[in-house]
Amino acid sequence: MPEGQIVKGYIMPGMPHVMLPTESASRRELRDACRVAGANVREARPDVLVIFSTQWVSVLGHLVQARANPTGLHVDENWYDLGNLPYDFRTDLELARRTIDLGTAAGFQVRPVDYEGFPVDTGTLVALNFLNPKNEIPVVCVSCNIYSGSDEELKLGQAAADAVRALGRRAVVVASTGLSGHYFTREITDDEDRIVNEQDDVENRKLLDLMAAGKVMDAMDLVPEYAAKTGADMQFKSYYWLMGALGSGRVNSKIVGKVLGYGSIWGSGAAVVEFTA
Amino acid sequence: MAGKGSIVCGFIAPHPPHLVYGENPPQNIPRSSGGWEVLRWAYDNCREKIKQLKPDVIIVHTPHWMTLVGHHVTRVPRLKGLSVDPIFPHLFRYNFDTAIDVELADAVYEEARAEGLIARKMTNPNFRLDYGTIVTSHMLNPGWDIPILSLSANNSPYYFSLGVGIEEMYKLGRATRRAIEKTGRRAVLAASNTLSHFHFDREPDPNLPEDMSKEHVFSHANYLWDMRVLRLMREGRMDELLSVLPEFIEKTGAEVKSGGLFWMLAAMGFPKVPARVHGYWSVIATGNAVVEWDLSAELNGAGAEAHA
Repeated sequence: MPEGQIVKGYIMPGMPHVMLPTESASRRELRDACRVAGANVREARPDVLVIFSTQWVSVLGHLVQARANPTGLHVDENWYDLGNLPYDFRTDLELARRTIDLGTAAGFQVRPVDYEGFPVDTGTLVALNFLNPKNEIPVVCVSCNIYSGSDEELKLGQAAADAVRALGRRAVVVASTGLSGHYFTREITDDEDRIVNEQDDVENRKLLDLMAAGKVMDAMDLVPEYAAKTGADMQFKSYYWLMGALGSGRVNSKIVGKVLGYGSIWGSGAAVVEFTA
Repeated sequence: MAGKGSIVCGFIAPHPPHLVYGENPPQNIPRSSGGWEVLRWAYDNCREKIKQLKPDVIIVHTPHWMTLVGHHVTRVPRLKGLSVDPIFPHLFRYNFDTAIDVELADAVYEEARAEGLIARKMTNPNFRLDYGTIVTSHMLNPGWDIPILSLSANNSPYYFSLGVGIEEMYKLGRATRRAIEKTGRRAVLAASNTLSHFHFDREPDPNLPEDMSKEHVFSHANYLWDMRVLRLMREGRMDELLSVLPEFIEKTGAEVKSGGLFWMLAAMGFPKVPARVHGYWSVIATGNAVVEWDLSAELNGAGAEAHA
């Protein structure tokens, strides 16, 4: 079996506004960027998508979806008025189990979930909508532990990548996450949507510029300060997982980021960033 | 429903799914050999009380429906489905089916807006009730023969500050009370939250969650805090309770922060009647108490404004 590889990585927005019928210039740009990402993923012909979603929150360690064919209808607890999110996708069970095994071997609590009706989160479904609209590509879904730190997420990302290599998969890894986490706490019209404060916008752009310049390690170093200033989505810890999966910090690793789109969703920051390793 | 409505009773009604799991009701798929009996027996008392009171509705404020923009109310006549707990799916996979009091939902929505709050009506019939609402509702009324109304927990105490959050909950409490009065309901309120909230970061034995030899409070300090606030409740020392709650939340990570208790106390007019503590125990180390304020024998006072 040839050794597997991570062929691309993405930061994708997790809010449902980009896929459900709402409109603003910002969301249009993000939606278009998501579509570009989807086309690029399909062109890369991966065997599997590995998705870490900040909206799948776990408390006791990390969880990995281990149901062969999750199906159902999800309604977002905040944005239920935008519509329903039906889902029907396939899990790469072998890769899911290996990811769990390697994460456990690394010293972390990683557990499978295999239950009818287990709630699949909005962020995962938004990513799948653009990257895997026909559900042709198997998926591995990973939760975001509310208490985990940077080291744990980095190593769990590495464990996911090790599992991909060990099983000979061609994988695309995805962090479904927002950027700055401050948002409008009042009702707004779609046209009013913008990054809710200037500092968040500045900090988002600073971080994205580092990624686009290939300074992904510098961006990682900036994350704690960035998260504190912007109330970033789950402290932007998904970035550690993503960099771990892409091989950041390993010998000869060279990761280049390309910002496909940036904008606001209900005042919070969102971006589509494509990484090649 | 004629006449002016009233709040007949309020409960702190914690929602660990372990309590449903320990009971083995037909609605829940996983089976157990029991566990957490002290809390379940405490809920037995509440069930009996609710049967006697014959309320028209049970209103639940739940921290597991966390909303970003305003306070949301369930506003579809019936909600039904399978609720799988995202944290403890091995314990809680529950088939729920409940009537929603939509007329009261409309009234709470209107009164909340009259208070200057942002409010929304949740009108999607496919909405999956959160497990906080379901566990609390089940433990109070397992027959589900009384309509419920679920209120979301707005994120304000976490996004802004505890003070902002409390202020909002006082307003929502007043709004709820007026809505109950205007619609003529006899209502039971339920603040669905634990007390101290530090917990184990691993289940002692995921294959036997009901192993009570492994269950204990997180720390003696947390236990003492829980006892301190329970004593204030039992002695009816409402002003002291309100003044100590912020420190309690800070020291113990109490889930009270999410707002339900503040909402309920405000709606009840900050009653000075002694509360009845039906039981206290830990669940995966968090402190849980089932507490009752019986207002059925009294006219509701007008104390809400005094603290707002």
